[in-house]
Amino acid sequence: MEPLSTTAFLVSAAVKVLVIFTVWLLVVAGVTLAERKVAAWIQDRSGPNRVGPWGVLQPIADGIKNFVKEEHIPGGASRILFHLAPVMAMFPAFVVFAVIPVAAPLPTPWGLVEVIIADLPIGFLFVLALASLGVYGLTLGGWASNSKYSFLGGVRASAQMISYEVALGLSLVPIFMLAGNVTLPEMVRQQQNSLWYILPLMVGFLFFSVSYFAETNRMPFDMVEAESELVYGFHTEYSAMKFAMFMMAEYANLVTASALMATFFFGGWDIPFWTGDNISVAADGAVVGAVPAWWITLLTAASFAAKTGFFIFVFMWVRWTVPRFRYDQVMSLGWKVLIPMSVVYVAILGAAMLALDAAGIEFGVRYALSLTAINVVLMAGIVFWLDRRRIILGAAWRQVRPQQARSRG
Amino acid sequence: MDNDRKLINVTIDGIEVSVPEGKTILEAAERLGIVIPRYCYHPALSAPAQCRMCLVEVEGAPKPLPSCVQQVQDGMVVSTDCAEARKARRGVIEFLLLNHPLDCPICDAAGQCMLQDYAHETGQLRRRAVEPTVVLGRDHVTSEIVYFADRCILCTRCVRFMEEIAEEPVLQVIQRGHKGYIDTMTDELFEHPFSMNIVDVCPVGALVNEDFLFKARSWDLDQTASICPGCSQGCNVLLGTKEQRVVRLKPRPNPEVNSHWMCDYGRREVVRWGAGIRAEVPMVRESDRLVAIDWSRALDALVEALSEASGGAKAIVSPGASNESLFTLRSLMERVGFEGGYFHVTTGSEQVLKGFPKLALREDRAANARGAELLGFERVDYVYGALLGHRGVVFVLEEALDGAPEDFGEGVELFIYIGSHLSPAAGKADIVLPCPIWAEMEGTFTNFEDRVQRFNQALRPPGLARPIWLSFSVALARLGAGEPFTSVAAAFGALAEELGVYSGLSYERIGLNGATTAAAGSAAAARR
Amino acid sequence: MAIGVKTVERPEVGASYLRATLKGMALTFKHLVRPITVSQQYPEEKYELSPRMRGTHRMAVHEDGRAKCVACGLCPTICPANCIKLIPAEDENGERYAAVYEIDEFRCIFCGYCQEVCPVEAIHLGVHYEAAEYSRERFVYDLERLCAQDHPYTQLWDPEDPASQ
Repeated sequence: MEPLSTTAFLVSAAVKVLVIFTVWLLVVAGVTLAERKVAAWIQDRSGPNRVGPWGVLQPIADGIKNFVKEEHIPGGASRILFHLAPVMAMFPAFVVFAVIPVAAPLPTPWGLVEVIIADLPIGFLFVLALASLGVYGLTLGGWASNSKYSFLGGVRASAQMISYEVALGLSLVPIFMLAGNVTLPEMVRQQQNSLWYILPLMVGFLFFSVSYFAETNRMPFDMVEAESELVYGFHTEYSAMKFAMFMMAEYANLVTASALMATFFFGGWDIPFWTGDNISVAADGAVVGAVPAWWITLLTAASFAAKTGFFIFVFMWVRWTVPRFRYDQVMSLGWKVLIPMSVVYVAILGAAMLALDAAGIEFGVRYALSLTAINVVLMAGIVFWLDRRRIILGAAWRQVRPQQARSRG
Repeated sequence: MDNDRKLINVTIDGIEVSVPEGKTILEAAERLGIVIPRYCYHPALSAPAQCRMCLVEVEGAPKPLPSCVQQVQDGMVVSTDCAEARKARRGVIEFLLLNHPLDCPICDAAGQCMLQDYAHETGQLRRRAVEPTVVLGRDHVTSEIVYFADRCILCTRCVRFMEEIAEEPVLQVIQRGHKGYIDTMTDELFEHPFSMNIVDVCPVGALVNEDFLFKARSWDLDQTASICPGCSQGCNVLLGTKEQRVVRLKPRPNPEVNSHWMCDYGRREVVRWGAGIRAEVPMVRESDRLVAIDWSRALDALVEALSEASGGAKAIVSPGASNESLFTLRSLMERVGFEGGYFHVTTGSEQVLKGFPKLALREDRAANARGAELLGFERVDYVYGALLGHRGVVFVLEEALDGAPEDFGEGVELFIYIGSHLSPAAGKADIVLPCPIWAEMEGTFTNFEDRVQRFNQALRPPGLARPIWLSFSVALARLGAGEPFTSVAAAFGALAEELGVYSGLSYERIGLNGATTAAAGSAAAARR
Repeated sequence: MAIGVKTVERPEVGASYLRATLKGMALTFKHLVRPITVSQQYPEEKYELSPRMRGTHRMAVHEDGRAKCVACGLCPTICPANCIKLIPAEDENGERYAAVYEIDEFRCIFCGYCQEVCPVEAIHLGVHYEAAEYSRERFVYDLERLCAQDHPYTQLWDPEDPASQ
């Protein structure tokens, strides 16, 4: 098929932006309800059930409420930054989604349209860059509120983000090594042709998910909000729509994080055990693999939605299970555990890949299975050997240590 | 009197005590602090021994004896709380409760009822009888006293009071047994100036004062020892106050003045005192109107005006003002030259209580007319006449100025009005100082026979009202006459020091029962 | 060690975070899929109150609608919170009655002493708790309102077990 003309490209881009973001915003709204429902079910409650059947209209009610509520600006607040902060928090969360491929390319009368808003060559470097921008909204919001709680929340946000960004970046290095590329559609294609990266990069997934939990400030890393100690931290002083914007940013981040997990480690829109969707477009516009069709696009979109939905659920599940870390635990987990372990993991994996290359094994399923074996061993090591009072240090650690030293001596 | 009699030894409840011959067991027990239950016995009345509540066991006696009439004998061994005596008492209460309606919740006497007290003491809180009670209803015995026949236990205290003390035997027990009730001989109501004492002597809630009926529960009242200001007799009373109001007066036993009694006039009139528009803040004239200010500036104005005054001072005082108030007023007047103080006493007919002639509703219907006289104030019929043509300083103390000439207070150098109420004539004053009424302050009154008696504060004065002795002693101190008084006792001490008649008396010595001046004391001794 | 303080031995060897977390997530998942819900749909479904629950007051009335109160003054006397205002008066039959009887439900601590002390069993606490109002003044219940309440009386004693054993 011919590449798109400039006009068609522009029109299709506009349509994609509209469709994807509309759907995506609806999902974000739905997620707020889902969060409350999941929380309720886990706690043997009913959850919101008054607005509409089973409470499905609750997000609309919340939206109306937030629109009509009084906006309050605390005295002594830095007004410009106070107004700017929610936008700064929301903007990166929204934009990151632009580089995530949502479905298989869609054939149209004007040419093949890739279902991704912007297939940037820098791919997920863009993701990393924008994910780190989100912290400005939080930090500035906390500072501009002129409240000690908000300020502490903001400070925590910046420290935590900086700490975990390193681990996040390092946990993604194995994907670069394996994929040899940084664009997201390319990664999806690689996974279609070998194995989903969850298998050969199992440990990397662990690091990535932990780091991304921290990046999105979700439980157990919600030191930034910490309602029991900081009274919701950086957005203590926010009300009405600005508060809603912070919440939207949080849930948008949640959806983006889930989508990224699905894309990086679970094959993106790939439907497993079926080669009918292995469509890729070469640089010259030639289609490689299966023939694109509108129903394949729909199926793959559904597949992508299912995976993303699952991770959204996992995020909530974890939130309503795991208690919040202490702040020193957060920091030591980031700096003393995740970063060194990621470095070691990159080294081990690099060595293994060099060894496999030297052994002459072609990149493909066998190559991936070999790496999977290594990862299973490493994972077992982490879970059964390393995870013994070493990953998270409990409150009793300082008292226990001298006793152990004595018993050993 | 007691000392003249022979002392004999008796043992009551295992304690030996020496009492004069002729005392009853009940009185002897009281010396030991043992209170034998009684209904019909009253210390000021004869003892008919008809309620049988005071039965005690006496060793050697064949049956329990009524302790209110049984005189002690040498070597008598009495047991007031043994099983037999208790059994007898239980029986009495049971009989009384046969027909007594257990309507304590709506009975005015609840909380001060002897039947209630003893029934609770013995634990007889229910009647055991199943027969219906006899219902006799209620009636007025005087226009102000209601008689609840059902509650009556026929102790006849009221009958004996009318007979022995009032010496007007109008009440009688009509019918007998469970149909018995108290009534006048005729169908008419009776009137007697001391009739309300029958309410006081009633041990239960049979006789109640209609004025007090349903107003307050006895346990709600705060009781304050005071002196009735109704006449110059100075009856010792207990003020029952509730929510900043005097609700009732009850006589406080004092054998020297009023025994256990007081007149109806006092009870009726005094309760109403303090009503009306009260003066609550000091006021000082500014050009043509009075302006409310605080005490310190009011006293500044008073001191300044007095030190600038050139003429002497004359005063109209109330014969109801306390000795201390009058004394400080006089001292203040002396700073500018005392030219005379006058008071007028409202009078009424004298009513003597025949059975206790020491007590009477006196002609002078004011508490401290004698005290004012002793302090150099003159009793005149027309006080305004005495002030005619006076151009100096005029003080008016607690006098309502009813019937004052229209131009009263005009043309004088300085007009100072001190009063608990605002009267129209006070509008011409240069300085108005609020003062409390008698129930709102403490102090002393001197009664008709030179007996000085103390009264205590029962109520809080309204607004900024302050006792006169306090505010004037501060003014005196500013004018250079020593330190201000910090207590009534100090004020009275200064008064006793300055005024010969009170020499030897002190506020503490007067105590709750009062004390006579030395002159009056010796006069009484001479009479004896 | 004070009574009721439980000392938890912290695991020293073999403590893990990852596995413990997974165990915890298994537990929460079990609850998630379990259809049990402890929620109550409040305005429609109401909690079954104990007959001894001490809620807002109610005055017993005679058949002709008069309050049973004889204005004896025992309830204001015993009330530890001083929330009962009573002014007795005499009615046309010469009987004592409560001219003013007000209970400040805000001040009330619902101890039930008024019910216990009442000699004519007139004032009662009620098995009732829905007392929302739009103004503070409305929480001072006057006699008319107390008589108009129709919720069940509180039983201060369990009839089967009056001594609360």
